[in-house]
Parts: sequence; C-alpha cells; structure tokens
Amino acid sequence: MPKKILLIEDDKFLRELMLRKLLSLNYDVFAAVDGEEGIEKIKKELPDLVLLDLILPGMNGFEVLEMAKKDPITNKIPIIILSNLGQGEDIEKGLKLGAADFLVKAHFTPQEIINKLKTIL
Amino acid sequence: MEIIELGKNEPQACSEAQLAQIRDEEFRKIRMAFLNILEDTEDARQGAVKEKNKTLTIVDNLTDGVLVLDENNRIELTNPLVDIFLKQKQENLLGKNIFKIKSKKSELSSLVALLKSGKKNKIKNIFRKELLLGDKLYLEVTTVPLEENNNNRGTLIILHDVSRDKFIETIKTEFVSIAAHQLRTPLSAIKWTLKMMLDGDIGKITAEQKDLLEKTYQSNERMIALINDLLNVTRIEEGRFLYKPEPMQMEDIVDTVINNSEEILRMKKTKLKFNKPKELLPEVLVDKEKMSMVVQNLLENAIKYTNLEAEIDISLEKTDKDVLFKIKDSGVGIPKEQQERIFTKFFRGSNVIKMETDGSGLGLYTTKNIVESHSGKIWFDSEEGKGTTFYFTVPFI
Repeated sequence: MPKKILLIEDDKFLRELMLRKLLSLNYDVFAAVDGEEGIEKIKKELPDLVLLDLILPGMNGFEVLEMAKKDPITNKIPIIILSNLGQGEDIEKGLKLGAADFLVKAHFTPQEIINKLKTIL
Repeated sequence: MEIIELGKNEPQACSEAQLAQIRDEEFRKIRMAFLNILEDTEDARQGAVKEKNKTLTIVDNLTDGVLVLDENNRIELTNPLVDIFLKQKQENLLGKNIFKIKSKKSELSSLVALLKSGKKNKIKNIFRKELLLGDKLYLEVTTVPLEENNNNRGTLIILHDVSRDKFIETIKTEFVSIAAHQLRTPLSAIKWTLKMMLDGDIGKITAEQKDLLEKTYQSNERMIALINDLLNVTRIEEGRFLYKPEPMQMEDIVDTVINNSEEILRMKKTKLKFNKPKELLPEVLVDKEKMSMVVQNLLENAIKYTNLEAEIDISLEKTDKDVLFKIKDSGVGIPKEQQERIFTKFFRGSNVIKMETDGSGLGLYTTKNIVESHSGKIWFDSEEGKGTTFYFTVPFI
C-alpha cells in the first residue's frame, strides 16, 4: 500500500512541482489549496503525512496545525511544515504546536524534502 | 610783599572755603556714584530678568521635554512638553519632590520607576534609555547631574520623543521581512524546477544542458543566500535576533562549522588547522545558531578571499574573562585605506570585488552585531597581499 500524503499549498506552481515529484515516487498524493480545504481533507482522508504551508488564504497553516493536533482522530498524523517563513519564533511556534519538522522551502530541494519525509513515515 | 602777605594769609581763609567746596564736590560725586550704582543695579536687574525670560522662552520652546530638579529632587522647572508627555499640569509638578507626587496617570510613575536607583530616592544616571508611555509614545530619557564646584545642585532630565523614528523603523523592518519572504517563493519554484531537471526527473538532459542548468542553479542559490542575509540584517536591527541563548562550549560550535565546510575546503584545497586547548574551555552563554553564523562567516571569508591552497589557522584560548577566537588566513588582505569601513553594511573590499567573488557585504556587519550582542568584541589585523587575522571574544558565564 503506497503511503498517503496530503500537500497543503496555495501556490499553484509549487504545488504542481511537489505533486509531480511525489507521484513519480509512487506516493498516493492529494492536495489542498487553502487552510479550510486542508483541515477538511485531513479529517476525511486521514493521510499518513501532511506537508503544510503556513501563509495560506483564509485560515493559516498554524491554525490548521492546531486544529489537527486538538482532534484525537487526527492528532497522531505527522505534519511537516513546508513554508518560506523561517525565523526563530515561527519555527518555535510550529514545533510547539506539534509539527514533526519545519522546512524552509528555499533551503530544500524536492529530493531533500522527500528524504525528510521518509525518515518520518 | 603784599602779595607774599596775601599769599601767607590766604591758605587759611581759602582752605575753609575750599574745603567746603571740596566736600560739596565729594558729596556730589558720591551721590552720583550711588545713583550710578543704583542705575547699574537696575540695568543689571532688568538684564537679568530679560535673560531669565529669554532662557525660559528657550526652555519652553525646546523640542525636548525638560525637567530641572534641585538637590532634594524637588521640581524647579518644567516646560510645556513635559505636561504633554506625562499628562500632568505644570502646577501639580512645580515645587514638589518627584518621588512623592501622587498621580492617577501611569506616565509619571513609569518615568519615576526608570529614574529611581535602588531603594533610596536617588536619581540614576541614564543616557538615552528608552521608555514607552501608553502604547505609542517612545521617549529617550537622559539625566544630567548639575554640579557647581563639585557640589550637587540637582538634576536635569531630558525627555526626547523618538516615536516617529520607532514607527519608521518598524515599518522598514516589516517591509523587508515581508519582501524577503515573498521573494523566497518564486526562488523556491526556480530551485525546485532546476533541481528536478538536473536530477533527470523530467527526462534525460545532455551534459551541456546539465552544465548550464547547474550554473543557473548556483546563481539562484546565491540569490536565496542574499535574501537570508538581508533578513538577518533586519532582524538584528529589530533586536529580536538573539532569541535563544544557552550555555555552550565554543569548541563544539567551531567543530560543527568546520565539519559543515568540508566540501568547500576540499574544493579550494585549503589546509585548515584548529588548535584548541587540551583542557575544556569555560562555558559561554550563546545563541547557538547565531554564534555558528559568526564562525561560519569568518571561515567562509577566509576561504573565499584566498587563492587556491590556502592555509587557515583557527584557535581558541582562554583569557581573563573571555574565550578568544582567532582565525588567520594567508589571503588577499584588506586594503589599508578601507580597513575602518569593513564592518559597515554593504561594504566590500575593492580588491575582492575585482576577484569576482560573490558576497552581499552584509556578512561582517552581521558578524559584528552578533558578537556585540553577546557582549563580546571583534577586531582584526590585515595586510594587503599577506593575509588577515580576525579575533573575537565571548565572555564566560
């Protein structure tokens, strides 16, 4: 059974690139374009892992993370933050809310992101 | 003879009349002198009043708030800005001891709290200490002891409004932070695309294509690094930079940085020596990430501004109160006439610009700020064409 991965990302091109990479490695991938859709899909699909952007239209990534971690059904799902924020206080906030890792997009290649994801799955 | 006779008698007769005349004359002179003195005094008094009014007018119209206290901390003088800043009426302040004024307004008590030293009601010596009143009034407070022949005559307190500067600073920092974040998104897309093409994820590419794409990828990486530098600079200026100090061994920080730089050291065929004392150095209180950045910046500079097969010596040692870090290279050096500017923002040496190395001119600026925010010092010796040694210290815990 391929692992199920949810990608929450509002930038169309970044979403396409990441989906492409994940599909090529035979993951079962699906995407959400904003926070509301993201939390809905976390609850409905119960993925094995979530890649979560922080700056999203409407509900932001921190809020999605907080909601997912509060819900006993979804709180075990590992969530990796994949954002272009990346200052000390953002990272601290993300990890405190229960993120499994915090990756700054501009500092990681898709393959490096996959490698991180493998260590958690 | 007659004349002689007359002359003989005359002195006496004459002296009576003359004396009276002299006396009159003297009285007249004395009176005049008195009148003159009175007139001068009056002039002086008027002059003094005029002078006092002039001084008061100047004080009243200063763009800073001014309070003058006597030696018993009683308020002798205030200007209208003090009333506005502290939300007080002048008559409630004048003649009263600053430590004993009761007021419902929090502004005055905030100021008094800043001024008070210890338990005793003594005014602290402060220079441009920042004080936030309400939610947007930022004042810089300075106290100046007034001394006359070594006797304390009281204190002058100056309140300088810096709210506008603060506001502009915040806007500027926010702007750069947001701009940097927004710039990263398209750069991430470029990075990911190039890397996927280079990895052959999109299909096979020729060696020539690969070479070009590799160079494009490196340019993009440089752009990302530049944005990180910019972000760091704004963070430093915001003062939020050191957010997580912890006790550490400097040896560990240097070791980690050297390990992370192995690839570039190998590429440049650099010979690196790291001398650390046999005994463990005292711990220092540092922000690990930022202190690593300092060591990294200095090491990168040493590597970057040295031609192939350079020799770099790093050492750590203990001095009286600090750990001293030293890094010596055999590089191009810093031109003498530019040495005093090397820690300024965006500075790049004229000789290194010619070498076509990349660099933002922010590295040493950031480095100095980080060292200083750890209460350390940074300095260097350099000779163009021979090499440079950088030193910095971090105090023990």
